[in-house]
Amino acid sequence: MVRVILDVKPRKNPFLPVEAECLVPKNFVDEREPRDLSVWVGNKERRLEEVVTLTREGTATSPEDVELVLRGDTSRFKRVGEYMEAGRITIEGDIGMHCGNLMKGGMIVIHGNADSWLAREMVGGTVRCNGDAHHYCASGYRGEKRGMRGGEVEVMGNAGDFTAEYLTGGSVTIHGNSGDLTGVEMAGGTLIVHGDCSRVCANMTGGTGYVYGMVHHMIPTFRFRETAIIGPEKVKMSVFEGDIANRGKGTLFIKVYKYPL
Amino acid sequence: MSELLIRHACVVDPVNRISGEIMDLAVRDGRIVESVSDRAEVIDAQGFLTMAGGIDSHTHICGTKVNFGRYMSPEDMRAGRTLKKGQMHSTSGYSVPTTYGNSYRYATMGYTAVLEGAMAPLEARHTHEEFMATPLQDTMANVLFDGNWPVMEAVRDRDVKRVAAIVAWVLTAVKGFAIKITNPGGTEAWGWGKNVTCIRDPVPYFEVTPAEIIETLIRANEILRLPHSVHLHCNNLGTPGNYSCTIGSMDVAPDLNKERQSLYVTHVQFHSYGGTSWKDINSKAHVVADAVNRKPHIVIDMGQMMFGKTTTMTADGPMEFNLYKLHHNKWSNHDVELETGSGIIPVYYSRKSIVNSVMWAIGLELALLIKNPEQCLLATDNPNGSPFVKYPEIIALLMSNPYRQAEIATLPPETESRISLPAIDRELDWNEIAMMTRAGQGRALGLRKLGRGHLGLGAIADIAIYPLSIGAIDPSKEYTRVIEALRLTRYTIKNGKVIARDGEILSNRNKTTIWVRPKIPEQHRMDHDPDFIRNFERYYTVRMSNYPVQEAYVPESTCIETEAVW
Ligand SMILES: [Zn+2]
Repeated sequence: MVRVILDVKPRKNPFLPVEAECLVPKNFVDEREPRDLSVWVGNKERRLEEVVTLTREGTATSPEDVELVLRGDTSRFKRVGEYMEAGRITIEGDIGMHCGNLMKGGMIVIHGNADSWLAREMVGGTVRCNGDAHHYCASGYRGEKRGMRGGEVEVMGNAGDFTAEYLTGGSVTIHGNSGDLTGVEMAGGTLIVHGDCSRVCANMTGGTGYVYGMVHHMIPTFRFRETAIIGPEKVKMSVFEGDIANRGKGTLFIKVYKYPL
Repeated sequence: MSELLIRHACVVDPVNRISGEIMDLAVRDGRIVESVSDRAEVIDAQGFLTMAGGIDSHTHICGTKVNFGRYMSPEDMRAGRTLKKGQMHSTSGYSVPTTYGNSYRYATMGYTAVLEGAMAPLEARHTHEEFMATPLQDTMANVLFDGNWPVMEAVRDRDVKRVAAIVAWVLTAVKGFAIKITNPGGTEAWGWGKNVTCIRDPVPYFEVTPAEIIETLIRANEILRLPHSVHLHCNNLGTPGNYSCTIGSMDVAPDLNKERQSLYVTHVQFHSYGGTSWKDINSKAHVVADAVNRKPHIVIDMGQMMFGKTTTMTADGPMEFNLYKLHHNKWSNHDVELETGSGIIPVYYSRKSIVNSVMWAIGLELALLIKNPEQCLLATDNPNGSPFVKYPEIIALLMSNPYRQAEIATLPPETESRISLPAIDRELDWNEIAMMTRAGQGRALGLRKLGRGHLGLGAIADIAIYPLSIGAIDPSKEYTRVIEALRLTRYTIKNGKVIARDGEILSNRNKTTIWVRPKIPEQHRMDHDPDFIRNFERYYTVRMSNYPVQEAYVPESTCIETEAVW
């Protein structure tokens, strides 16, 4: 096992975005790595070591054995863990946009909050965010018709609007509240919201959604099927099918809901 | 005075009957000349394939619907990004790239002139603005007349001279190049919730048929002596069984011009389907090719479809709506008052689909079954059939039967009984490819006499040199080398200046927009016609005086003045 600690150096302008797609475990397997890793800070390309201090503990032979630990202000570090296939990334603070983009395997744990597009179009692996996730968590990017296809995303806090947009496979769990149009255009997979959200699963064509809190602005084009008792806590939930406006065959379990006035 | 000498060029120039001769080309002030002084800049072509600059006679690269294609598909903009480098702007987009993306990619493939296939007159300013941002190709625009109210009224009144006068006024006003008719009458009918099934269906209210629109516009075109012929996108695009409508439309065309065709029928692949539904669709390319072989006054372009992702865009609004119902993906439709409309949807052509496989075969069959390559030009209706960056693959397919057979082997086996491609063993040679990609276009657009599409004395020095020694390879076997070589020129030269070398762009700007001003007798001009003026002010939301595109929109332009035979 190797633990690589990346400690962010103080920055003159901490708001400048850092394009950090090189921060994936496979780039840190070898002792001599990182050799040529660079990041774009604003419009300047910098060597990774100019931006972070690296400390290595242990040795590794494959990416599975690598853990990256990001320490300090990483709230503007974008695309960390992009296309990651194995290993683990631990982020001690907040993380910038697009963390876990198109990730295929391994695990990312964020102790703070995540900015927009967390785990966008993820294919496999696990992402856990102990804080809040901003908009478009576990969704597809602009114009994309398929969002997350596999793996697991868990947000312990709240999530923003368009969470799990175009969800196609895998599971997304939000322990707090989620924003407007959560699960919009969902086509497969499982979405679980423990808190409240609004206009959930609009235009869905497939997959299963659960909302254990309150749904505001319930979409009227879902067909009520039955009432069911769900889970070990025996929660009484209404079961809907839809979105029939889109000839959808999704299933939606909702505890409490309100139609728009 | 600027001089250039290209040494050891292996020239293929069918117009001047030069077929793979190693020779020198002398250029002075942008034109091919007999010889130059010894102060001339020298380029060593190393015996590589050298042809006139490529001309695309039907492509969609500029204007409102192209731009809509860009902003409705951010995922397409993310594909194919290139960084700013030297003189080059950054570019993005795959099927609908930025204007610079289009211009650079055409330039590095050796293309120096392009015709935008469909410009709605009312929205001409947008097209010209994007032409200005397309810095390395000469640009021309087809002007849409398929649902033009004053034209349809004049057609109904059987007044061909009035049709000609309206066309003359509009072409001059919008700085257009040629007459385009897209699904004649169909887009207007769609405004009434209808369509036309073929050329004999009347358009609601106007009570004229597509056949009448086509024939009258062809006659008007020749009255005005326009360089290009009428450019037709037939009714019924993409419908199984539409081949008979396509042939019927060709039958309507009279033979009126000795120098070039009287009717250009575009993207004929989309119009050569047999069968009665998507389930039994088959190729009728052989029937359509027969018709073209019997009619020397018709020129078509292939409209080749290639597998992969692209965006479809056309003035044929109802057709795009039908496609949308098939795919259920994003879709846009647009009406242009009194004139035409448009529709756009992204598509994915799959090798696993029998329908797509049949479409792929039809384009190639047309090119291989039409005897005279100047009657079947190479185009994909970019980006409808595929982005133009696939032209090298299409050329390789036309030159190599083994390549075609290898591709056919990857298609669903049910395809084979529906197409004739497996049995066609014709392999085109470099002369024929030159005809299909530059010489034929020069003739079809009426620009051969103006020095385009060939390398004869006095011709415009638009030259493409590809890193390929054609004497040393067999395109039938070494088709991958053909593809590689045609993707990136060693040199692309425009007006005697090198604009691209090995994929790098070396020029900021080198272009002109070619437009047409037909002169008709003063008393017949539409700007003096009380009826035309009254109806214009009554129905358009813009004033007639604000309608014409100002000169400021065509800062670099070449106006062809024609004298109408009245
Ligand atoms: Zn077209």
